[in-house]
Amino acid sequence: MSKVVGIDLGTTNSLVAYVKDGAPTIIRDSRGDGLVPSVVSVGDDGKIHVGREAQRRLLTDAARTAYSVKRFMGKGREDVQHEAEHFPFRVSGEAGGVVRIGLGDREFTPPEISAFILRELKHRAEAFFAEQGEFDNEVDRAVITVPAYFNDAQRTATRDAGRIAGLEVLRIINEPTAASLAYGLDKRRTGIIAVYDLGGGTFDISILKVEDGVFQVLSTNGDTHLGGDDIDVLLMDVVLAEMSAASSSPSHVGPRFGDADGAAEAVQEIRKAVIQAKWDLSEREDTDIIVAAPAGTGGAVPYKRHITRAEFERIIKPIVDRTLPPCRQALDDAGLELTQVDEVVLVGGSTRIPLVRRSVGDLFGQTPHSDLNPDEVVALGAAIQADILITGNRDMLLLDVTPLSLGIETMGGVTSKIIMRNSTIPATGSEMFTTAVDNQTAVDIHVLQGERELVPDNRSLARFKLRGIPPMPAGMPRVQVQFQIDANGILSATARELRTEIEQTIEVKPSYGLTDEEVERMLLESFEHAESDFAARLLIDARNEAEAVIQATTKSLRDPDFDEIERTELAAGERKKIESVLAGLKMVLNSTDRETIQKWTQALNDATQHLAEVMMNRSVKAALAGKNIDNV
Amino acid sequence: MQACPSCGAGAALDAHFCPQCTKILPLQRRADYFSFLGLPRKLNIDPAVLEERLRTLSRKFHPDYFYNATPAERRASLERSSYLNDAYRTLRQPVARIEYLLKLEGLAPKNPEEASRQVPPALLEEVFALNEELDEIRDLRGNGGAPEVWRARLERARQPIEAKRVDHEAQLQDLAAKWDAGASDGDRRTILEALRDRFLERNYITNLLAGIERELQS
Repeated sequence: MSKVVGIDLGTTNSLVAYVKDGAPTIIRDSRGDGLVPSVVSVGDDGKIHVGREAQRRLLTDAARTAYSVKRFMGKGREDVQHEAEHFPFRVSGEAGGVVRIGLGDREFTPPEISAFILRELKHRAEAFFAEQGEFDNEVDRAVITVPAYFNDAQRTATRDAGRIAGLEVLRIINEPTAASLAYGLDKRRTGIIAVYDLGGGTFDISILKVEDGVFQVLSTNGDTHLGGDDIDVLLMDVVLAEMSAASSSPSHVGPRFGDADGAAEAVQEIRKAVIQAKWDLSEREDTDIIVAAPAGTGGAVPYKRHITRAEFERIIKPIVDRTLPPCRQALDDAGLELTQVDEVVLVGGSTRIPLVRRSVGDLFGQTPHSDLNPDEVVALGAAIQADILITGNRDMLLLDVTPLSLGIETMGGVTSKIIMRNSTIPATGSEMFTTAVDNQTAVDIHVLQGERELVPDNRSLARFKLRGIPPMPAGMPRVQVQFQIDANGILSATARELRTEIEQTIEVKPSYGLTDEEVERMLLESFEHAESDFAARLLIDARNEAEAVIQATTKSLRDPDFDEIERTELAAGERKKIESVLAGLKMVLNSTDRETIQKWTQALNDATQHLAEVMMNRSVKAALAGKNIDNV
Repeated sequence: MQACPSCGAGAALDAHFCPQCTKILPLQRRADYFSFLGLPRKLNIDPAVLEERLRTLSRKFHPDYFYNATPAERRASLERSSYLNDAYRTLRQPVARIEYLLKLEGLAPKNPEEASRQVPPALLEEVFALNEELDEIRDLRGNGGAPEVWRARLERARQPIEAKRVDHEAQLQDLAAKWDAGASDGDRRTILEALRDRFLERNYITNLLAGIERELQS
């Protein structure tokens, strides 16, 4: 039988997991890497690159490479105008229509870009199952997670992405709820749990009540535009300001993209450098932001700057502070006090930041949990949910809520709410409509999502045209429109004229989505481009391997204790040798000659073997330090 | 009675599953929320019991468990789950519960919006006095009166209304207890009518208080 998986389609990284003998497991590549960077790049030859390979291409072909596309899902051109300038790729689209992302001479909608990532995960899982010797290794069904605070358009866009990738989307579930499932599995928890999920691009807080294996979401809140990306942008602004102040020709590295040759790539070097510094500062008190020279220019390090954790925290505090009011609101909506929360669970890579942990701990007055890897816990939960759907296992059940109120436009541009936010889903609501003129046979209905009073302040979901109303004097027809939010949080509607019992047809025009025909067409197109080139795959694997070794080596060289290690343990010239092989591997990394890359990778592995042993010994010693030797 | 679409066996109208073939039944005739949940038609409901019903019935109906079922069963699962959640949401809040009971018993105002705008006769005196006072306070503000002066007057104007609200909550609770205790047919009608009047008055009072609150905030 074909396989089902759980997928965390993240802003920065995506993962795929499955359940084996009741235990959820992340599916990793041959190097043990579970993360697929959510990056897609189009080569000059039109070839699509996804993941690590695409991430590397950010530094050589930024304009043909898309990242953080999740931020554009279910959005219109107008929504992203301001944000678009932070990205190296073209963002366009018709006014009032869905966003289009231009890479090279091709244009894609955000669901199509996401579909490339989903297809990569599908391939990864299929390769894994084939290796396990499974007879039928096809992966054709998946549970995909979305931020709890995603609206209908964003959920629908995610489901469309799955369909374009050739996956039947069994269920869309909310990321914090998925995480709670993964946490609930190993320990039978009961009580009130707050899940704080700060990812690359989105923030969610969900309050759950867990009892008898039922995970009932009481309330949810968040911001679909708040995450690690925003932290990176703040740091980049600091670096860019200092670089242009220091440079005699400020236009050399323009703060915005697309002007000078290589400017976009230079900015990606800066982005890479600040992300590295951000990671460093989760482990140490200070580090350096080191911006490498753009590929091909050779040259010295154009920028280096020392930064302490205190300074970092001062810069990012406004971002972290923005997560706190939604937490209070969610508790308020659940009718609970801070003190009634039994446990706080942290999810998402950005919760590794000490300031985030501290702020959450201070708010709830308790130390938050992070026993599971915050990058992986959502995919694990998605796999559990997929397993529940397929096996009918009734040990656990998720009862989720709709994050935003659903309403319709009424007289004077006011929104009339039909299904309130935090209603357990599936849920229904109905509203009566009538006609304004004699013999009118159609009525327009504008459906919105949001909490505000006035129509323009809420999110337009769709315009329904209700047709087939029997001709009657004005005001006589009584058309009942029933709105249904299903277990995915996705809306549908039916209508019936009550006097004649005639069912009306509803024609839906999604405000920022794709029609069924468009999704169908994209699915067909994707087959044409989906030729998987075996040699290209091997090359990518070799590059991934090389990059991993480069990263590990760079990390060792930057270790605060390295100087001391070199003085006491390394042979004369050992460091020089490592550095030169490292530089050599970096040089060939982007070549298309797989064997050369593998040769240099092996050389770097050999050159660093002694250093690796030394560092391993030191950390073992450090771990044992303080223990009496007799106890070991 | 209804016929099970799967095996044709007869089932009670408010049964969730066919007694013969155990398949989930479509939600054709909707039982009222109380009987759907298996609860007596009473106004005092223990929240823990209500939550237990939600969990137990969710474990029976939820679409998660019908993924491999026929389209008809999947549809039935979605309908029953939605109805269950709607029932839970309505009966969870005491005020919504009263409103729902009035509707069930045929005493809901035909046009709720209109009813909420009309001043209930029992409140005419208070509302008249309040409106006069509010007019004077607005004049005072318009002429640059000191905030602490008009705020104090607003606070004073609020007190009798607030007292009315407390009084109404108590009366509603009293009536709810009477309803729950069970009564003869004649008394039932009297209790329900009293419930309806106090309920409409309570809504009106809540709106008045919200209006005063807005004036205080501005």
